[in-house]
Amino acid sequence: MVPATLAKSLVGICGRDGVILDEERLLVYESDALTAYRHRPGAVVLPRSTEQVQGAVRAVAEHGLPIVPRGAGTGLSGGAVALDGAVVIGTARMNRILNIDAPNRRAVLQPGVINAELSEAARVHGLYYAPDPSSQTTCTIGGNVAENSGGPHCLKYGVTSRYVTGLAVVLADGSLVKLGGQGRESPGYDLVGLFVGSEGCFGIATEIEVGLLPVPEGVRTLLGIFDRIDDAGQAVSDIVAAGLLPAALEIIDGPTIRAVEDSVFAAGYPTDAEAALVIEFDGMEAGLDHDVERAAVLCERAGAREVRSARDEDERMALWKGRKKAFGAMGRIAPDLLVQDATVPRTTLPSILRGISDIGQRYDLVVANVFHAGDGNLHPNILFDRRDEHELERVERASKEIMQLCVDSGGTITGEHGVGLDKKHHMELIYGPDELDAMWRVRRVFDPGGVMNPGKVLPEDTIPSEDTVLPVGTGGD
Amino acid sequence: MSAAVDSLASAVRKQEQGLLNCVHCGFCLPACPTYRRLGDEADSPRGRLYLMQAVVEGRLDPGAEAFQTHIGRCLGCRACEPVCPSGVEYGQLLELARQVGGNARRPPVFSRVLLRVFGTAWLARPAMFAGRVARATGLPALLTRIMAGRRPPKGARLAVAMLAASAPPPPLPSRTEDPPATVPRRLDAAKPTVGVLTGCVQAGLFARVNQATVRVLQANGYHVVSVPNQECCGALHAHGGDLEAARSLARRNIVAFEAARVDIVAMNASGCGAAMADYGSLLADDEAMASRARAFAGKVRDISQLLADRGPVPGGTVPLKVTYDAPCHLLHAQGVADPPSRVLDSIPGLEVVPLPGAAECCGGAGIYGLTNPRLGGWIGSDKVQSVLGTGASALVTGNPGCMMQIGAGLALTGAGIPVLHLVELLDESYRRGGLYGNAGG
Ligand SMILES: Cc1cc2nc3c(=O)[nH]c(=O)nc-3n(C[C@H](O)[C@H](O)[C@H](O)COP(=O)(O)OP(=O)(O)OC[C@H]3O[C@@H](n4cnc5c(N)ncnc54)[C@H](O)[C@@H]3O)c2cc1C
Ligand code: SF4
Ligand code: SF4
Repeated sequence: MVPATLAKSLVGICGRDGVILDEERLLVYESDALTAYRHRPGAVVLPRSTEQVQGAVRAVAEHGLPIVPRGAGTGLSGGAVALDGAVVIGTARMNRILNIDAPNRRAVLQPGVINAELSEAARVHGLYYAPDPSSQTTCTIGGNVAENSGGPHCLKYGVTSRYVTGLAVVLADGSLVKLGGQGRESPGYDLVGLFVGSEGCFGIATEIEVGLLPVPEGVRTLLGIFDRIDDAGQAVSDIVAAGLLPAALEIIDGPTIRAVEDSVFAAGYPTDAEAALVIEFDGMEAGLDHDVERAAVLCERAGAREVRSARDEDERMALWKGRKKAFGAMGRIAPDLLVQDATVPRTTLPSILRGISDIGQRYDLVVANVFHAGDGNLHPNILFDRRDEHELERVERASKEIMQLCVDSGGTITGEHGVGLDKKHHMELIYGPDELDAMWRVRRVFDPGGVMNPGKVLPEDTIPSEDTVLPVGTGGD
Repeated sequence: MSAAVDSLASAVRKQEQGLLNCVHCGFCLPACPTYRRLGDEADSPRGRLYLMQAVVEGRLDPGAEAFQTHIGRCLGCRACEPVCPSGVEYGQLLELARQVGGNARRPPVFSRVLLRVFGTAWLARPAMFAGRVARATGLPALLTRIMAGRRPPKGARLAVAMLAASAPPPPLPSRTEDPPATVPRRLDAAKPTVGVLTGCVQAGLFARVNQATVRVLQANGYHVVSVPNQECCGALHAHGGDLEAARSLARRNIVAFEAARVDIVAMNASGCGAAMADYGSLLADDEAMASRARAFAGKVRDISQLLADRGPVPGGTVPLKVTYDAPCHLLHAQGVADPPSRVLDSIPGLEVVPLPGAAECCGGAGIYGLTNPRLGGWIGSDKVQSVLGTGASALVTGNPGCMMQIGAGLALTGAGIPVLHLVELLDESYRRGGLYGNAGG
């Protein structure tokens, strides 16, 4: 519950239907897509405009309560979860595409626009928005910016940060700042770059300018079927080493294949295989078939049982659908799922995959892998049943070991799902005190009072002892 | 825990064991018309499932405002089912949740009376008759014209406009130079015996659609028999959470159709079709009826499927530009996507233009437009705008609720675009083609 005075001013700003105060209605905002963390917010505000966001932020800040931005709540690191009765500011009603500037290939949007719907709207101009998280039919661009999201095609095209060129951000005191804008390079420090990936800790993006790309002339999709997952990992390394630049290289392992094939998104992967490798090339028609041919040969050489190509657009879409809905389809093989996200050097893939499978066996757990292999971005999914306490304990231990294995091989603790609440304590596996200290200082520049999404990303026990940084706007000279 | 909460709990558990449980991925959010309009996760499928789960966990009282409001606002359109990668059977959980909610707090008198009327043949007949008489006076049509332009329609205005919209459409355009069609090819092969569900609303206000259904089925080589003693399908009761009433109607229907010895139960109202195709799960715990219910459910087919199976046989020319809106209970609940277009494509002269957002609910959703007028009105006006945008001169669909909802909305714009049932259009084509004996024209 928030204080009555705050409730009243929020209603004054966003209208009665724009503020949720009822404890019971707030239940549904307890968690994001990582349901292991549940915390009920003090209130949820659903503004329709930047001005309403500013007003709401100001009102909450005056009452000294923390603020958590929320998009579609598809995050997988607990980022949009409200700790300590924080007020959630949701962007679901700020879902308008403000402008598509086709000749300059750019679009300006409100943060609640759904990723896939931007591409849909741009398609009539022959353009699309390249970063394509598997959750793209649901997740918001605001969430993508905050998480610096990637997706299968980011192997060739790069992640969100490459496409965000300007932002309007409401800071913790309710002030509005414009970062970047008007296309490509802004002189001075790259504050847009700093904001992308800030996981809701720096402010709320209320307007986002992004770059669009022309829809590629041609696309070819291949499917390699492997009896051993190491071989699929090897094929990935070989394809990249050969200098080919596929748009996507995705591995789906045996347990995942079986889950997908059992769901409504069955894509026709053989269920007795141990790995399927989806390879996609796109770009100018000329040369595509040659690339496909070379990739097919490399797969066969690495031990593929079979290499097929999608015969038509329908087959291609089906192949992708199975991949993109894989996470949801896992609900089919176990009641609970812990999805991991780590990035490792691509060349270590075969040995890490073997290592993960060993860990799974040792703890008697099924670990299903579906991931962006080309980037070395792993998503081991540990399947379990939370009602079995012993199993839960094994899951935690296995999860830690997997993480350690990735870090020891020169990898890092997240590829694209962010740190949020879930990985905050893994940060010290990667960074020393000096680096964490620097991050705290940057965070304080944007949010001197620690109002924005507190308790996320950086572990509290690493807060620098003397906070010497002056709040924004007080002038440092 | 009450018995109703128990059965919701056991259904949630069953889905968990069947591993059809919600993983909270959020993929269903954009598919949900109420979430799209309201932007509150409590009005999304994921949110509603979360509230149900909270009731089952004992964290939420089903009488609470939150549960009543958000479960109450669900259209029951089941657009959330086909997009769910975990295969959550939302529709089934919703009915149980409505039952739990209804036990905890009596639904408004208005919906109770309406459900009573539909469920009781001797009450429904006079009510429908009164409706027909009122419609025949031309008063609703007149009122609708007077009210045109003021949007969105609500309450009594909507009810009047819906009644007006159930009237037969004006004559469709024809081309005199068209030659009469050839006599249909004979279909000597298997002649399955079909019984048609006449339905309560359909029989009451859309008798012409039922008659057309019989004629087009016969023209396509089906042997149609009458099925006495059939009842309302119980869909509205089940959606409203009165599962006991729904079960008792289901039992009586099963007995009636068994007695008529039909191979196929034909549906021209997709809301009823979806409900009857679910009789198997509705009566799963009724030992005496469970297997009969499953067998019955297996015979339920939508009229568009039956026609598409036979081609359908072609008729005469209907030179008309139409657009088609997919009823939720056909597309999402029964997964019938292609057959209606195949039927439309078979009609000579007909131009079919795509309807943007055809897969989205029109807001009719049974008695939703009457129980949730504001939200239903918004959703309805979006559909109407989308129809107007196509430039079509008639809208075709396959469910009386949708016909009335969209028809009312269209009538209130004053655009003069009629709403036709798929079989009405085919029937007209057959009449023109001389398939019923008389010459075309
Ligand atoms: C099935 C599934 C598949 C997924 N696949 C991928 C994938 O392939 N690649 C990938 O990168 N991610 C993936 N994700 C994770 C998730 O979808 C992304 O992180 C996505 O960007 C989150 O968007 P959202 O709108 O749901 O944000 P939320 O979950 O609501 O929020 C995420 C974070 O962003 C912050 N935030 C939200 N809006 C704003 C704003 N306007 N301003 C500032 N901060 C804001 C929140 O505070 C929170 O910290 C997947 C998730 C699921 C469930
Ligand atoms: S799509 Fe299915 S699994 Fe995902 S949140 Fe919705 S109901 Fe749950
Ligand atoms: S049935 Fe329709 S209105 Fe109800 S939750 Fe599903 S999509 Fe939304």
